[in-house]
Amino acid sequence: MIRRMDAVKLDVQKLVAGYIPGHPILHGVNLKIAPGQITVVLGPNGAGKSTALRVLAGFLAAESGSVRLDGDEIVDLPTYRHIESGIALLPQGHSVFPDLTVAENIELGGWILRGDRRRLHQAVDDVFTRYPHLRDLRNKSAGSLSGGQQRTVEIARLLVSNPRVLLIDEPSVGLSPVIASQVYRELTALKAEGRTILLVDQDIRAAIRIADYIYVLNSGKNEIEGDRAAFEGDLGALVRGWLGV
Amino acid sequence: MVTTVAGIVANGILLGLVYAIAALGLSLIMGVMGIINVAHSAFIMLGSFLALGLLEWAHIDPIASFFIALPIFFVVGAVVYRLIVTRVERAHQTQGLIAMFGLMVLIENLGTIAWTTDTRVITVGYSNANLTVGPLIIADAPLIAGVLAVVLILALRLFLHSTMVGRAIRAMGQNRDAALSLGINVRRLSAIMFGLGIASAGAAGVALAMIFPFAPQTQIQWLAWAFLIVVLGGLGRVESTLVSALMVGLIQTAATAFLPFDYVYLILYVALATILSVRRQGLRGVARRAI
Amino acid sequence: MFALFFLPSRHGQRRIVGGRLATLAIAAGLVGYGAMSSNLGAIDTLGTVFMYLVVTQAWNILGGYGGYLNFGMVTYFGIGAYASAVLFQYFGLSPFLTAPLAGAAAALFGLLIGIPTLRLRGAYFAVITIIITFAVQLLMLDLPFTQGALGIFLSPLAANPVFVERLFYFIFFALAATATTLVFAVENSNFGWALVAIREDEDAAEVIGVRTTAVKWTANALAAFMTGTVGGIYAQRILYIEPTGTFALDISLNVVLMAVIGGAGTWQGPVIGVPLVLLVAEALRVTVTSEVNRVIFSIIVILIALFVPGGIMGLLQEVRRRMRPLVRKSAGETMPRTGG
Repeated sequence: MIRRMDAVKLDVQKLVAGYIPGHPILHGVNLKIAPGQITVVLGPNGAGKSTALRVLAGFLAAESGSVRLDGDEIVDLPTYRHIESGIALLPQGHSVFPDLTVAENIELGGWILRGDRRRLHQAVDDVFTRYPHLRDLRNKSAGSLSGGQQRTVEIARLLVSNPRVLLIDEPSVGLSPVIASQVYRELTALKAEGRTILLVDQDIRAAIRIADYIYVLNSGKNEIEGDRAAFEGDLGALVRGWLGV
Repeated sequence: MVTTVAGIVANGILLGLVYAIAALGLSLIMGVMGIINVAHSAFIMLGSFLALGLLEWAHIDPIASFFIALPIFFVVGAVVYRLIVTRVERAHQTQGLIAMFGLMVLIENLGTIAWTTDTRVITVGYSNANLTVGPLIIADAPLIAGVLAVVLILALRLFLHSTMVGRAIRAMGQNRDAALSLGINVRRLSAIMFGLGIASAGAAGVALAMIFPFAPQTQIQWLAWAFLIVVLGGLGRVESTLVSALMVGLIQTAATAFLPFDYVYLILYVALATILSVRRQGLRGVARRAI
Repeated sequence: MFALFFLPSRHGQRRIVGGRLATLAIAAGLVGYGAMSSNLGAIDTLGTVFMYLVVTQAWNILGGYGGYLNFGMVTYFGIGAYASAVLFQYFGLSPFLTAPLAGAAAALFGLLIGIPTLRLRGAYFAVITIIITFAVQLLMLDLPFTQGALGIFLSPLAANPVFVERLFYFIFFALAATATTLVFAVENSNFGWALVAIREDEDAAEVIGVRTTAVKWTANALAAFMTGTVGGIYAQRILYIEPTGTFALDISLNVVLMAVIGGAGTWQGPVIGVPLVLLVAEALRVTVTSEVNRVIFSIIVILIALFVPGGIMGLLQEVRRRMRPLVRKSAGETMPRTGG
């Protein structure tokens, strides 16, 4: 498993972070996320996958370590700066604003563009063009939509700021298998557009199927890594046995 | 008879409108931020004294004071948010409750030191004047206060529903994590929301002072009243607070017309107890519903 | 000062014995003082301290351990006072005899209002308790047998004033000691743990099988009983009961200030907080108005809520925690930290 090191979009080095100072959950995690690829982070509960995503999204301050985007240090920047530099997070679980309409939800996806109304409207319009069926639902409250429709709203909302790096946290939780597979297909489509995706998932099989490269974390440390081929072979069985799947 | 009923309805609506703005800040802060601000009524009291002070020292009419109160109390609210609320937001709920309770006691007693426990009234040209519409007689002061209340309610609703910042504030109340993930500065918007809540409390204080006598130590009754309206109406929506306040206003005027004044309160307390008992879950279900 | 003796003693049997001895010594000192002193003012003030101690300990059960803040303790107090006064007025019974009935009346009321209100989560309960005070106050103004705003007069005890003050001193002292012992017992019981579980995470408590509603009702009724009993005796002390004074919100506020300053959720908290607030207030009253000292205490409460959630007790425990590593190091108990 030789990896091209010359093209790294997001470079995470020796990341230490947690919610209580002095009690980190991540103990020096290293991740190299190649541009235009889907990188998957797996691991048992409590391994620190979501914590890592929260740091990368700027939600959570790191205690030490570095996060470089195209070579620039971003680890200490606030969330909105991360979004401005093209990183966006899709949080775990339902994240639509249920009492706002679909249109209002999507417009808020362009929160950082609000200074430039025309650009914002254009971006929102582009997203509606991309997901035309949302246009018909635009004045419905998001909470009244089906689970699959809500997920589409969430992805659409994410795309308004046109992020180059997508951090996706457990995209299939609570969705029916049919809709979940649609979500994974959508992620592949986003990759095809040249976007870089970092996916944290419990659904190991589904994640590996679309992954280019895979990291396994355990107890806040790197455990194993490799490309899809490696994980589909013996290593896959190893990990599955180890994770008890 | 028809005239009596029309009079009750008209006065009840005006009263309800003023009650609505007294409760609105409490309801919005509760609904969006999940904070029960027990110091709410202390700011109402400060608003009343602001109106009195401006009238006595600068001969500023309470109508103008109503609008002067808004920016002043907005800043006060934002400062309170920064100094106190940000420190207890993430802590155990009782800690925030105790901090705001301390603030309430502090403001009330500072008020007593500054203005004694004497009961005050605001007297201006229209305080005892009436408007006669056909057979209907409506006192001017509640009419003006009611109109001011409508202006404030509409402005708040417009802000929360038709501006992007307003929608972001509501979004933050519905899903804080998702709002954060969009780059929404939750801290700043919370400060704005808290500021708006306190601004409406201060303005409500001005409006209430046009109708009711007031004193520092009676402020807590307005907390009870505002909370009653919030609980009766459900949480955090401008509309539901308005409807519930109008109901309370109408019940109060209707009951006052036929019953001794005290019974009005008892009727409302019984209504409150009934609602609390019927909603077996209490307010837990509604608590996270935002505006 | 003497508060130091109330530190929980986790290590060192000698400290526990020392703490208990100190507690006993203070108790004996207070008994002796009550019997000997002829300083009426001091006896009166200390009597009030003991009275507040009972109510604050009562508050502490549901508020301190359970996290359900009652901002209307005066409701139970007032109901107790009225129960005694009414029983005196119509049946000529002395409040000393009817105090338990006063407590029972308050407990019954506590159960009654507990049914709708204790289903609510903490913060709602807190505000509702204020509203209930207003409602009960109004009720007392309007009920036929309470004589409304006129109030009820009780006849003074036929004895010399020093004896009467001493009598109240000892009654309140006994009740305060009982209340404190009771709260100490609660702290070390399953009931106490259930309350703490409710405070920390009510949903989780429910999941692990704590009968949360029953626990809250019991705590509330117990608090109401204690407060009502004291209210009943207070009626005999004050001799005149009317709605405004008896249901004065001040009492409710003071109780919360005292508990929070001392340290809510520990049996020592009220023991520290009540005398501190009342004696400082007494001392300040000479120079400043009661509003000024309320201002001082409310600022302290805000600071405590922001920086020292455990109140003075929490602060003392923190000091102990910081001192403990030193003790351990000297005992050679500290383990070298391995890098990792």
